[in-house]
Amino acid sequence: MSRYLAPDNLAEAVAIRAQGARIVAGGTDLMISLRQARLEGQPQPELILDVTRIPELNRLELGAERPFLGAAVTFRRLKTDPEVARVYPLLAKAASMVGSVQVRQTGTIGGNAANSSPAADGVSAITALGAVALLASPRGQRELPLSELITAPNKNLLAADELIMGFWLDRLPDGAGQAFSKVGRRQAVAIARLNVAAAIAPELREVRLSVGACFPSPRRLTLVEELVMAGQPGPELWRQAGRAAATNFTDVCGWRSSAAYKVEAIARVTARTLATAWAKAGGAA
Amino acid sequence: MTLDFTLNGQPVSLEGVPAAESLLDLLRHRLDLKGTKEGCGVGECGACSVLLDGKVVDSCLTPAWKAAGREVTTIEGLARDGQLHPLQESFLSAGAVQCGFCTPGMILSAQSLLSDNPDPSDEEIKIALAGNVCRCTGYHDIVLAVRRGARALRGEAPEADES
Repeated sequence: MSRYLAPDNLAEAVAIRAQGARIVAGGTDLMISLRQARLEGQPQPELILDVTRIPELNRLELGAERPFLGAAVTFRRLKTDPEVARVYPLLAKAASMVGSVQVRQTGTIGGNAANSSPAADGVSAITALGAVALLASPRGQRELPLSELITAPNKNLLAADELIMGFWLDRLPDGAGQAFSKVGRRQAVAIARLNVAAAIAPELREVRLSVGACFPSPRRLTLVEELVMAGQPGPELWRQAGRAAATNFTDVCGWRSSAAYKVEAIARVTARTLATAWAKAGGAA
Repeated sequence: MTLDFTLNGQPVSLEGVPAAESLLDLLRHRLDLKGTKEGCGVGECGACSVLLDGKVVDSCLTPAWKAAGREVTTIEGLARDGQLHPLQESFLSAGAVQCGFCTPGMILSAQSLLSDNPDPSDEEIKIALAGNVCRCTGYHDIVLAVRRGARALRGEAPEADES
């Protein structure tokens, strides 16, 4: 008889995970893959660990010296929590663009990372915020930057006995403007074709840019960030940055059939997102 | 292990529910409640929407065990004492039902919205229903029905809003 366990403490969860449990948080990705497995005649898991009742995973401490975002925090909470809107508006915006009301109700940021889809809006957003994943296993806890944890589409370095507790995030400089954009086939319930997260501090003291869905794994485009920091803010700089982001894409991914569209989309959406972030930092257009 | 929860106001206790079973399969196949529909099975159409503690979720994406100790409301649970719920009435009067397959999910999404926001704008209604797909007739009369149902739930008289 299979078992579904939803412990209310981390120690028990770690012990259950170590028995080979599949992890579920919201279920919005796992249930689809279990359905597919069933249709293909594959076995269903014998042990499922529901991590959503563990207090550490529900922590949302964005005002802390080292801000922390628990893995079981839902997109609904990220979309509606006033502290998220104040401290990380780009994350609130990204969360508001995930799936539907139904998906946001249960889907979590930790599940978004563990599923490791290149199109994950939440992953793109927290990559720009410097997310470092905090992982727990019977061997203890370890930290790994999210951009290293996720290695390729739907592939990550999470060990078979590990679970994601949450993410440490960087504090952004005072007055930093933030923006998040997404391109999908429709406005809701769309897998991103492209998503862009940007944060810019006043006087270009700090620039963060993460571009998702068109790369195999999450990343900040550090070359583009440096280009922007060295430039004169304004439409020409945003255009240059957009073109540099597109070049970065073709350097990494080559010229596939969809590239003709993506190169233009990356260039323009990146430029627009940087311009929005700059305007929100109080900069002149 | 026993799975205990409240379904449409009544306690339910089930044995032998597999860990990977969806709430949708549990409702339709174990409890024979066919008002909850299976459309896409992957969380894109909303036909399987139900309320979990009053909030709308896709039951196809929800493990049945997530219901443990909680309250599940399906379309069968909205009418009281033979009286349709105001949203059910408004969907009928607005002509918002054609084939009816999406209707239970539409109504439960609307109910979830109205419990958070009793007086939504049309834009808020559209965002709330973005996860529910109708393939018959479009959304105009569905939005109208939600607006009308909202007014009824607020205890306000109907308005001439047939635009």
